[in-house]
Amino acid sequence: MKKILSSLLLFQILAGLLIAQEWTVPADKKGRLSPFPFSDSIRKAGLQLYSLNCMSCHGTPGKGNFQALVPPPGDPATDKIQHNADGELFYKVSEGRGQMPSFKNTLASKDIWTIVSYIRSFNPAYVQSVMPEITSGAYSGAVIALSLLLNPSRDSVMLKASAIRGNSVVPVTGAGVKLFVRRTFGLLPLDEEKTTNDQGMAFFPVPSDLPGDTAGKIQVSARFTDEDQFGPVSKDTLLQVGLKIEPVSLVKDRAMWNVVRKAPWWIILTYSLGVLVVWGFILLVLLKLRDIYIIGEHIDSVGAKKNES
Amino acid sequence: MNSQDQIPGLEQEKIDSLSADILRPVRINKSFLLWITFLFLALIICLYVYSIQLRKGLGVTGLRDITSWGMYIANFVFFVASSLVGMLISCVLGLIGFRWVTPIARIAEIVAVAFAAVAGLVIISDMGRPDRLPYVFLYGRVQSPILWDVTVVTTYFVLSLLLWFLPMIPDIAVARTRLQNRPSLLVKVYGILSFKWVHHPEQYKILNQAVKILIILIIPTALAIHTVTSWLFAVTPRAGWDSTIFGPYFVSGAFVSGTSALLIAMYFFRTNFRLQSYITDYHFERVARLLFLVSVVYLYFNLNEFLVPAYKMKKFDAFHIHELFAGHYAFAFWLVQLGGLVIPIFLLIFRFMRKPLPLLVISIFMFTASWLKRYLIVVPPQGHPYLPVQYVPQEWMVYKPTLIESTITLATFILVLIIITLLSKFFPVVPIVETAREESDQEAKSHEKH
Repeated sequence: MKKILSSLLLFQILAGLLIAQEWTVPADKKGRLSPFPFSDSIRKAGLQLYSLNCMSCHGTPGKGNFQALVPPPGDPATDKIQHNADGELFYKVSEGRGQMPSFKNTLASKDIWTIVSYIRSFNPAYVQSVMPEITSGAYSGAVIALSLLLNPSRDSVMLKASAIRGNSVVPVTGAGVKLFVRRTFGLLPLDEEKTTNDQGMAFFPVPSDLPGDTAGKIQVSARFTDEDQFGPVSKDTLLQVGLKIEPVSLVKDRAMWNVVRKAPWWIILTYSLGVLVVWGFILLVLLKLRDIYIIGEHIDSVGAKKNES
Repeated sequence: MNSQDQIPGLEQEKIDSLSADILRPVRINKSFLLWITFLFLALIICLYVYSIQLRKGLGVTGLRDITSWGMYIANFVFFVASSLVGMLISCVLGLIGFRWVTPIARIAEIVAVAFAAVAGLVIISDMGRPDRLPYVFLYGRVQSPILWDVTVVTTYFVLSLLLWFLPMIPDIAVARTRLQNRPSLLVKVYGILSFKWVHHPEQYKILNQAVKILIILIIPTALAIHTVTSWLFAVTPRAGWDSTIFGPYFVSGAFVSGTSALLIAMYFFRTNFRLQSYITDYHFERVARLLFLVSVVYLYFNLNEFLVPAYKMKKFDAFHIHELFAGHYAFAFWLVQLGGLVIPIFLLIFRFMRKPLPLLVISIFMFTASWLKRYLIVVPPQGHPYLPVQYVPQEWMVYKPTLIESTITLATFILVLIIITLLSKFFPVVPIVETAREESDQEAKSHEKH
């Protein structure tokens, strides 16, 4: 018992140390700002995303009903979390630490900012500063765009990044790009990060066994690794690169878990036969009871006749 | 005396003396009225409590999300278990050819009928919306053990009732002619229920056939009733229920609770109905040996049920076993295992412990322990759900039966007592004709020897 107590104590101390250890965000990430202003509709979308991704540990903001984990996840409405700068919140959600998972591959940066907007809605003192338009770098003033094209041989996707300024279009070269496939529970990175070549192009090989929808279509999403420089530009599109997957209905055929009309034959037969046989014999017993009665009645009437005569 | 009372092959005096003894308690006297009034008053109080549950729903019980099967289901399993004794005594032993069961077979059937009848009602007590009971039959899934259970419980009740009633028809005919001074309604009922029985050899032949069918039929049905009840638990992956031996484990446990119930009933009828010359020390000795046998078998299944998972200590099994062996339920668990099984088995080895009074005490212990055992089978495994449940108040995590729940459970026992009382006060509890036949057979045998 003493041993258990002391080891528990040690664990508490270690956990306490971990909490005490500041979660420092690199200086260049700290000042990062959302590229879009937090509107009511954004906050609403943020609630959805928060419920799906964060609530299971952090609970409902303001209620303090987060999970009893070590270290405690904390309530996002409290000062402890609200004193973070926007960039810090964004970084911590993206990277994760310890029990807190990293969301950078699960959620698009737009989605993470949307969650930040929801968290901020619990801070009445919060005033948002929006990221100024990106004008720096080699493509200042230009609109950056991504496009995706499937190779005719269907074994790779070509990504092209271009900067459009007025009528002139120039390729964005040497930029880190990523390609994701949208799955039910988040984004699945396709191959490694690539760098655009001098024509602004990068090629992502596509595995031949990616499951798609009924038509074999897959939703892919491309974006820049360095969003600070290029902004949250992304390109989502449907590509015909996956396997055609027909969803199999589990309630189509006869099965134990199905409704009674689709119960397996053997169980219907066993049950019905069992009931029929047993109750058939019960009926037989009741018929025998009837026979007993008939015999008694007959003897009674014979006796009565005898008495009369 | 009516000429219909002539039973072929039996002396008139024997029937006279037997029926004088056995039919003597079949009457409405002061103590009976007092007892039955007490029972009905208690039942009315319990029914009032049930009306609270009916009005407010199952929230008045201790049942919550985590433990959704509590005292009611434990009680149901116990009732089904106790009803199994009818099949064991009158069918298995009777079919093998043990003649000594004759005087106690009907008591066993009365116990079986009473518990089987109320078992169905116990299930209804666990329903928040009992008005939806017909849905089980209207929309029941043939794949669900719940439908199988409803089917076999109903069938077993009907079979037990027939097996209590059919062999009694000759006795009712005897009572019809001898109890003319009883209330006219009762005499009328005897008239109807004797099915024009005139002790004709042909009637005996048909009756024996019918009883034989029932005896054979009830054995698989009785095994099915308790095996299916065990499947209600064993078909789930829950640690503590997920066991392949739950069927025989339940059946052997049922024989323990049923046999101890039978011993209690035997003691009561023997002393209160003054049937000492029919239910003798010999019968107690025999049933005690039977109790010993079924208890040892049950102990063996207990050993299996706990030793195998305790040896492996799989994560969730380990929680469950710890709770039982040393945790929250440890006191009840060891009380049941030692006080209700190991110590009684040890005591039953001694001859003087197989006398009626010590047996009564042992049986009361085993009977009570059997009830508690069902509680320990049903409730603790639910305390550790596989899926984590979040944000629920602490009182939802630990199941504690409420007073309302306990009162309604008490009501089911009162109902059992009412049924046993009515069946034993209006009908002979010891077979008259069969016992007479038994005795004259033995006399004939001893004559041959001399």
